[in-house]
Amino acid sequence: MKDLIKQGLRLGSIFGVVIIFLILFGLTSTLSDILGEFVNLESRTRTGNPGGLMILFALLSLWAGSSASASDRSNWKSALVSGVSVSLIIGLFVAAFILLVGFLDSADVEMRDYLAQLDHLSVQFLLYGRSLIAGVLITFGIFLIFGILGALLAYWYEAKQAGEVIQKQVLVLKEKALDSKLAKQYKENPRSKWIGYGLLGLVVFITPQFLGKYWNYAMGTVGIYVLMGLGLNIVVGLAGLLDLGYVAFFAIGAYTAGLLTAPAPLPLQIGFWPVLIFSIVMAAFAGILLGIPVLRMRGDYLAIVTLGFGEIIRVLIRSDMLAPYVGGPQGIRDIAGPSLFGIAFSGKAYLYLIIIAILLIILFTNYLQNSKVGRAWMAMREDETVAQAMGINTLYYKLMAFATGAAFAGLGGALFAARNQYTGPADHTLMVSINVLSLLIVGGMGSIPGVIVGAFVLKGLPEILRELDLYRLLVFGGLLVFMMIIRPEGIWPAPRRRMELHEGELDVLPPEESLVGKEG
Amino acid sequence: MAMLEVNNIHTYYGNIHALKGVSITVEEKEIVTLIGGNGAGKTSTLRTISGLLKPRLGDIYFEGEKISDTPAHELVYKGITMVPEGRGIFARLTVFENLDMGAYSQPDRFTFDDDLDRVYQLFPRLKEREKQVSGTLSGGEQQMLATARALMANPRLLLMDEPSMGLAPILVESVFETIVEINKTGTTILLVEQNATVALSVANRGYVLQTGEIVLKDSAENLRKDEMVQKAYLGIE
Ligand SMILES: Nc1ncnc2c1ncn2[C@@H]1O[C@H](COP(=O)(O)OP(=O)(O)O)[C@@H](O)[C@H]1O
Ligand SMILES: [Mg+2]
Repeated sequence: MKDLIKQGLRLGSIFGVVIIFLILFGLTSTLSDILGEFVNLESRTRTGNPGGLMILFALLSLWAGSSASASDRSNWKSALVSGVSVSLIIGLFVAAFILLVGFLDSADVEMRDYLAQLDHLSVQFLLYGRSLIAGVLITFGIFLIFGILGALLAYWYEAKQAGEVIQKQVLVLKEKALDSKLAKQYKENPRSKWIGYGLLGLVVFITPQFLGKYWNYAMGTVGIYVLMGLGLNIVVGLAGLLDLGYVAFFAIGAYTAGLLTAPAPLPLQIGFWPVLIFSIVMAAFAGILLGIPVLRMRGDYLAIVTLGFGEIIRVLIRSDMLAPYVGGPQGIRDIAGPSLFGIAFSGKAYLYLIIIAILLIILFTNYLQNSKVGRAWMAMREDETVAQAMGINTLYYKLMAFATGAAFAGLGGALFAARNQYTGPADHTLMVSINVLSLLIVGGMGSIPGVIVGAFVLKGLPEILRELDLYRLLVFGGLLVFMMIIRPEGIWPAPRRRMELHEGELDVLPPEESLVGKEG
Repeated sequence: MAMLEVNNIHTYYGNIHALKGVSITVEEKEIVTLIGGNGAGKTSTLRTISGLLKPRLGDIYFEGEKISDTPAHELVYKGITMVPEGRGIFARLTVFENLDMGAYSQPDRFTFDDDLDRVYQLFPRLKEREKQVSGTLSGGEQQMLATARALMANPRLLLMDEPSMGLAPILVESVFETIVEINKTGTTILLVEQNATVALSVANRGYVLQTGEIVLKDSAENLRKDEMVQKAYLGIE
């Protein structure tokens, strides 16, 4: 009993402090706007949607209540105790905070001087556009009611019988789904797999037709990140080499395309298509040049050296010294785009070009993965020394992974520069490397579908939730931490990796993943 | 000409002088054992022969060809394969995939099925567990797998580093029976062991290694009778 209360109080104070922080950052008003729009609530105040705020608080306290009751859900009394203690504390924390700012605001104290988010309008919003007392009481009430509700709901869900019934139902549903004719057909007929791919391909090819200009552009960016993700996936996911300077090869691709096709700073103006190939070659070449000295190192050292390489490239393209050759901080303008039969590519055509590039790269990666090269990478990632003893030239295969990954990034860079008709140092910051690595982590290391999902989550979602743009980094960090805790293998992991991270749950590989029968 | 000739090799880890002039010869079709206590330099010797370490002095010849400058990954192609200390199986790959990796050096895949059959005949247990992830195998099975994987490369000389390590006595016996069987099919074996009793029971000849130096070499039979060996390695007072 005492323990329950104690734990409730502890959890409650954590939630309380976090919520106050969210308010101070102004994140609550953004979130409540989104929630309010979601349920179509009219806004009564000018900043933030008070109805949305109520929903937000209710959701948060449901969450707090249910997690507080997690320690003991054996009977409804202990669930109630946890719920009451946690929601009381959160309610007190937040209500007290709102009372304080509301009071200061009514006393005409300028809090904005200290806390930018706390202007008069925001305070009105926190009080739901009502009086001080009403606002504070509503807040307290919401937390209390929904916190207790959360705890009891969780208890009810877990309660033995209910739990079993639900579990059984889920199982029955699952079996039904597996038994359904469609599923059976799918299983028995390998052709259906190809039909599935075909349908998917059709969707991919039709979608751009329905997207407006802005979305075409946004999806193009996602596509370029998919390309880079596929490249880094080979380096990190398949060969197990941690490369933190991946942006260097993206920059080399972009700058090769830029310098060779733009009128200035070098008056070369070669056409797009040959230059595209050349950009890929240049990036791969840079990969080999960097790889030869660096790939003898392991783990952390490799990460640090590549990180440095990425920065060196960025500093070089920015530098005044090289400005006459690469454009300096201003970058390169008027980069030529592709054209076919004399017609320049539109935004839509670009998206198709990127999609085609992605498909080709996926086919190529698939081929590599199932060939002798893929086996060598797998052995290397498992145990480098033993791989050598099996006759695998590890240095060679590392170089190969490095160069292949670099080539893909070069392709991405060239397409990126040509689409924007501009590239400059600001396009090639460390953040690009971090983004690509993060999309691998979020999507699932070593998995091609994972790369695509990861790119959509990290580059696509921010476009959809543009209101959250300010908090991109916050959300980004939160998402990574969240993934590491909840699903460390990524959203769509490679089966082998899922197995590694959930040891003991699965000790036989699904047949399609095994190498049995491949390469007859 | 001996199959393997190790001439006076000195191997270092930084400043640590691990091998101080080790010389060993192995004739074709022999089982030769290298016995010694913990830290004597047994693993270092095998790692030097297999190219993972470079000797600072001395050289190594295999079938008359100098191999002390050959990179590790090329030795498999010349006919030397190692079963590493602590087995070194690919724990997250299946049994079959491990064996497949063992055959990495084989030029064509036509012989693969034959090799696999041969290995499964020697270790029927592995066939039963073909699709099991090898990290979940028992210690004895892992040793079988490590040995089987090495055999997939069709070696003429097999280097084995403490196959008895961490195994129950009854398993040790069966492992060594297989070693004799492998040897009977024509594979030469250099066997490194702390467990001198079993090693000397299967070997033709033996060397005793102490702190990086060979202190004794003789036929296995004579070594078993040697007073010093009995005292230090066979536990006979
Ligand atoms: N990686 C290493 N770095 C430094 N010293 C090592 C390393 N490996 C082995 N040694 C040293 O070399 C000597 C021989 O080791 P080793 O060949 O592993 O012996 P054994 O296999 O007979 O137990 C020991 O003194 C050991 O401490
Ligand atoms: Mg050893």
